[in-house]
Amino acid sequence: MADFEPQLTKRFGLKDSHTLKVFLETGGYASLKKLFTMTPVQVIDEVKASNLKGRGGAGFPAGMKWSFVPQNTGKPIYLAVNADESEPGTFSDRFLLMNDPHLLLEGIICASFAINCHTAYIYCRGEFAHQVKRLNAAIEEAKKAGYLGKNIQGSGFDLEVYVHRGAGAYICGEETGLLESLEGKPGKPRIKPPFPAVVGLFGCPTIINNVKTLSSVPWIIANGAAAYTAIGTKESSGTHIFGLSGHVNQTGYWEMPFGLPMMEFIEKYGKGLKGGALKAVIPGGSSCPVLTAKECEDLALSYESMRDHKTMFGTGCAIIMNEHTDMAKVLKNLTHFYSHESCGQCTPCREGTAWEDRLMKKILDGEATTKELDLMLEIADNMEGKTICVLSAALAMPVRSFLKKFPDDFRKYCKSAPVAVPGAVS
Amino acid sequence: MAKITVDGKQLEVKDGTNVLQAVLDNDMKLEHFCYHPYLPVAGNCRTCMVEIEGPKGNMLTVGCNTKVAEGMVIHTLSPKAKQAQKSALEMLLLDHPLDCPVCDKAGECKLQNQYMEYGLYDFRRGVPRYFKGGKAEDIGEHILLDQERCVLCTRCIRFVDEVPKTSELGIVNRGHESKLDIFPGVRLDNAYSGNVTDVCPVGALTLKEFRFKQRVWFLKKTESICHGCARGCNMTVEHNKGKIYRFMPRENAELNKTWMCDEGRFSFDYYQTHRLEEVRMGHSIRSLSEGIAEIAKLLEGLSPNDVAGIASPAGALEDNYLLKKLFEKKFNVKNLAAPFWGKEGEADDILKLADKMPNRQGLKLLGIDTEGKDLLTRLEKGEFKAVIMMHNNPYGQDEERAKKVYGKVKALIVLSVHKTKTAEAASCLFPVKTFIEKNGTFVNATSRLQRFRQAFERDNPDMVEGSMWVARLAKALKLEGFNFNDPAEVFNAMAKEVPALKGLTFNAIPSTGVVLDLPPVAPEPFKNVKAQPNVVGKVKT
Repeated sequence: MADFEPQLTKRFGLKDSHTLKVFLETGGYASLKKLFTMTPVQVIDEVKASNLKGRGGAGFPAGMKWSFVPQNTGKPIYLAVNADESEPGTFSDRFLLMNDPHLLLEGIICASFAINCHTAYIYCRGEFAHQVKRLNAAIEEAKKAGYLGKNIQGSGFDLEVYVHRGAGAYICGEETGLLESLEGKPGKPRIKPPFPAVVGLFGCPTIINNVKTLSSVPWIIANGAAAYTAIGTKESSGTHIFGLSGHVNQTGYWEMPFGLPMMEFIEKYGKGLKGGALKAVIPGGSSCPVLTAKECEDLALSYESMRDHKTMFGTGCAIIMNEHTDMAKVLKNLTHFYSHESCGQCTPCREGTAWEDRLMKKILDGEATTKELDLMLEIADNMEGKTICVLSAALAMPVRSFLKKFPDDFRKYCKSAPVAVPGAVS
Repeated sequence: MAKITVDGKQLEVKDGTNVLQAVLDNDMKLEHFCYHPYLPVAGNCRTCMVEIEGPKGNMLTVGCNTKVAEGMVIHTLSPKAKQAQKSALEMLLLDHPLDCPVCDKAGECKLQNQYMEYGLYDFRRGVPRYFKGGKAEDIGEHILLDQERCVLCTRCIRFVDEVPKTSELGIVNRGHESKLDIFPGVRLDNAYSGNVTDVCPVGALTLKEFRFKQRVWFLKKTESICHGCARGCNMTVEHNKGKIYRFMPRENAELNKTWMCDEGRFSFDYYQTHRLEEVRMGHSIRSLSEGIAEIAKLLEGLSPNDVAGIASPAGALEDNYLLKKLFEKKFNVKNLAAPFWGKEGEADDILKLADKMPNRQGLKLLGIDTEGKDLLTRLEKGEFKAVIMMHNNPYGQDEERAKKVYGKVKALIVLSVHKTKTAEAASCLFPVKTFIEKNGTFVNATSRLQRFRQAFERDNPDMVEGSMWVARLAKALKLEGFNFNDPAEVFNAMAKEVPALKGLTFNAIPSTGVVLDLPPVAPEPFKNVKAQPNVVGKVKT
């Protein structure tokens, strides 16, 4: 992959890559010069043209999102950076924050300029203690050097950035849950409408973007949308940090343009499978529908290929499972995670996720029949799309795909259906 | 107005209404728990699911958070919507205790009622029940919390956040371990705490005062008005066999919404304890007609200026009107006033007013002097031989002063509900009915004429309404124009005479009252409470 220039990870591995000195030496904050010659509308149009999609999981076009902010409300506009990376199997933002915090700050300046925001908050996952230290140090450095604060680099543009450390709840990565938590309330997603672009943080228009999304912006500003769309595939422009975990010989993360075939990714970067042939892949974080080995044969790392395979690109970090994996145990892990992380606000999610988990326990204990499997599928249908946020869907999708694609892994735990005895009292 | 279609039925609804309210306002059904028209939308119970037709196909969404739009086509009965409603109910009932037979809410429980209608009857939890714990915890002076019955609709939380703004309640824990709890170190003792039990759709929050006293299906409900202060909150008297079990706030969008203060709510026992039951002349007990005859004889022997009258802001409009009329026809109306020495009570910006009398504005409407300074000085001087005192307790309020003022009067004729100090001091004593036992009207501080109806008849022939007592006395005094059998008739006669009441009849008064052309003496309620946008129609359960 020599034919691309790393955009996100180019300073990874450099000594003191997180400092302003190294950042400036390697071309950091260079995009600002160009940025301040543009108008905010031009910036939004450039990002729209670059086809940069939200890297948090939903893949919503970033430029489009920015254009939804009403500019005439008389209220301040906020930018909230979602650094609450807690999707199981996902690990890329944490390294970005560790190795190159200034790149994120540069992206925040670009985005804030585009949406006319003067206060940005970085909502960091509670466990990222070290990252929070790095971010705060970087903000201090940038302020001293005139990259943040009043009149940035003589442009007349003001921006303050604050880091807020969460308390470690998965649901605070949901954008409105994040806003609630940022306001000091329990992280329970808000009912929409109104959407956060109109009524967001403290009741003001707010844009919420992922760390990788914002970190991609400086390159787009510096090199133009055309250069960005030239990288990757037709629908998935640019580069991304892809991760591999599970049964591969080498786990890790790599920055690459979109479009690499999944099997090549496993072979070339993961150094092949460990312990047996491929059984299943969860392509982009635990909430994406699982894929079988056969489905992975023609799968590529891009939004469109994932969609064609009826799964989601998600966060781009895949979990690889070999033939000895017990899918029932994997699903139990997931049901436990989602029932534990459900905020408990909406009935179908609060009760449904826990019900799935309790049924999974019953199945693994060998006390269930195939009736429980059907019940699990029905519960999945009854929770998905019926709640305020998508956490219920994030469990419903794996439940459905696991049970449908690997039925034997579940049936082996089931007792045969009870035979009705005439006159017996149930 | 927006034209919408609900299940094939064309409806015209107000702009800005939400779909759920539009459905309910048009007497159609849609189940719901967390929605309350006077509280902000939470949208968390997910039971009011409807299918709305859209350009991208039908969308399944909650009715409570969807505003109606012109031409909107809504399905509440489509298979998809029905399935979503049923499954949400199934989940709500998943770990809910099935203790309806011993639950105080049974009979008015939304979960119980709606499950009968929408429920999935094949129970299929398949796993052991999850116990949330928390049975009958004492969380406030009046309130008990039963955590395992809670459906986490957050209505009570939104109530304490929005109305009294005291925020004692919250949800603790996450996921299916979530439970309603009170914050450590506080008690649910705000002045409006009783309302949380009204908004609670299930038996999670119950009133100590009502718990296990009566099954709700035995209760008879009578429209009434709170007697507790000049606000005149609309309420329902709930009673059975002549005993009052509770006061419940009754919806009035322009006045008390659906709320009521605890002071008013728990005053019901006051009206059924320490009641006066017998007519007494000096130390001997009489029947009502004997008593009236004796009084009439006594009054006949006096000159018109020998008799003073004390009207009352606690009495109904009809009582005071007839008393005034009696003085106009028989005695001297200048000798009638309504001096009242009761202390001012607690007031707030929500509902409570300092004036604890329900009908002071009514006295103004009738032109009765509410201070009566002149009358009191003349009483003190001993200018009067007899006083007719209705619904008043000067001896209880200021005994020293009362002795000075009324001490020289030979015949102190007292009409009283309770065994008060004034009743002890009276020379002629007549028991009268409370507002619960009679028909009548009050005018509140914001000049709203409101009607209350008789809840039940007292089993005591000696006890009549204040106005009927006056009518009987007038007949004994052979006066014309007092031919009334019920206060409602008095009202109808009064409406013909008092200009502000023109065109009204007792039965035609709307159940939420009418605002009279009379300057208000108190600000509108809910001064500091945020405007609540979703107030549109009636509360439907």
